Amino acid sequence: MKEELLTDALLREFLLGKVGDAERERLEGLFLTDSEARERVLVVEQELIEDYLEDNLTTEDRENFLLRYGQTSEQQQQLRISKAIKDWALRENARIQPVSVGLSGWSRLLATMRLRPFFVIPIAVTMVIAIVCLAVWLNSRMTRTAIAEELAQLNTPASLRETPEKMSGLQLSPGAVRGMEKELVLKRADLTGLVELTLLWVQKEHYPTYRAEIRRLTGDEPFTILNLQPDQDGIRLRLPARILSRGQYQVLLTGIDANGVAGTTEEYLFTLES
Amino acid sequence: MARDSAIPPESFEEILAWLNADRDVAAVMYVQLRHDLAKLFMWGRCGDPEGLTDEAFDRVAKKIHEVRPTYEGDPRLYFRAVANNLIKENHKKVKTHVPLEDVDLPDRQTTEIDEEIAADMEECLQLCLQKLGANKRELILAYYAKEKQAKIDHRNELAQKFGITVETLRVRVFRIRESLAECIERCLKRKAQGK
Repeated sequence: MKEELLTDALLREFLLGKVGDAERERLEGLFLTDSEARERVLVVEQELIEDYLEDNLTTEDRENFLLRYGQTSEQQQQLRISKAIKDWALRENARIQPVSVGLSGWSRLLATMRLRPFFVIPIAVTMVIAIVCLAVWLNSRMTRTAIAEELAQLNTPASLRETPEKMSGLQLSPGAVRGMEKELVLKRADLTGLVELTLLWVQKEHYPTYRAEIRRLTGDEPFTILNLQPDQDGIRLRLPARILSRGQYQVLLTGIDANGVAGTTEEYLFTLES
Repeated sequence: MARDSAIPPESFEEILAWLNADRDVAAVMYVQLRHDLAKLFMWGRCGDPEGLTDEAFDRVAKKIHEVRPTYEGDPRLYFRAVANNLIKENHKKVKTHVPLEDVDLPDRQTTEIDEEIAADMEECLQLCLQKLGANKRELILAYYAKEKQAKIDHRNELAQKFGITVETLRVRVFRIRESLAECIERCLKRKAQGK
């Protein structure tokens, strides 16, 4: 896809019917044949709908928008669904927010109780620490969520069929087989983009899918990747290199049978050096 | 309204074979192409995108035996050309557009969704949010936390927090939101059929 020829502004014009025939033809062709371009068009379309719902469109754009997105009952239902999702998110966020403004309520309570300053200061400090801890915890939780999402996306069967440009491939044997072999040691600087681990499965029992848990052996919480499908070389697991830091890593690979029951687990280890 | 397409089985098979040699891949492409053509009709301001999509496939099915052997390039572009003709024909047929005041707008401007529809929507939304899983739900929640100008800064901050670009964040949210919207749509359809 030629990024420079496909800006958000152009796509908005296209979606509102404000481009010439030749450009429209080009964009429609890209939309049908280039999956990346298609997704970009749909992302911009979603934002256009969002702008309509927030009343951010000019009168002309609003009219153009409604001629395309508000005519049939199906289209109107789509708009209602978008609105329902947005309203839910705003409602939920408004509900959650009072937690962070709890201080003012607390202050009022203190005032009512007429506490002396030497009580108020430690309490305020404790509350500030608690809020900072909560913020740090929320931040790390969101980061974890994003990584978990990314891992799931990278390891879908469709994603695994693609071969990204920057990818290092590594083959790992399970601990039991490796036995006398030296443990695999990698240089952090050698890894860029994605790392694809091919986990050899040497057990007699084979499974339709596998579950992988990867973690650094320093007490980090593991990330779990579900629904990995085996191929002739083993079970492939992709990781973004940027989430890997110095230390020893453990991958636990568990076979999952057709009924979703966990079977044999194999352990794989590798070490990352700076 | 979508109508039942009457593509003969052999033409249908030929369309699949034209789209891709692997039948499974072709089937996925076929479903996506239907969806995408409906979008083209919608963007072309046609009142019945689903029906016109059927019509486009019918037309291609009728001509595929003669077109396929000589056509060069991505077959989806041939479908685009057929769709384009249909849009032009549709505009000729419907000389006048529906005046804006006659368009049944969603609730913000004019209509009040009646309570039953609103209740169904809420029920389906909650059901689908449950199915979505906590991580995705939290991401959607965070992404739509702000409106208007404030949302731009907020989304930049959110992308920074996740260590990804805003573009990646937009695509990620788009995919989640699409699956959520599809789930709600299916749920509403089931409810409508049950009444």
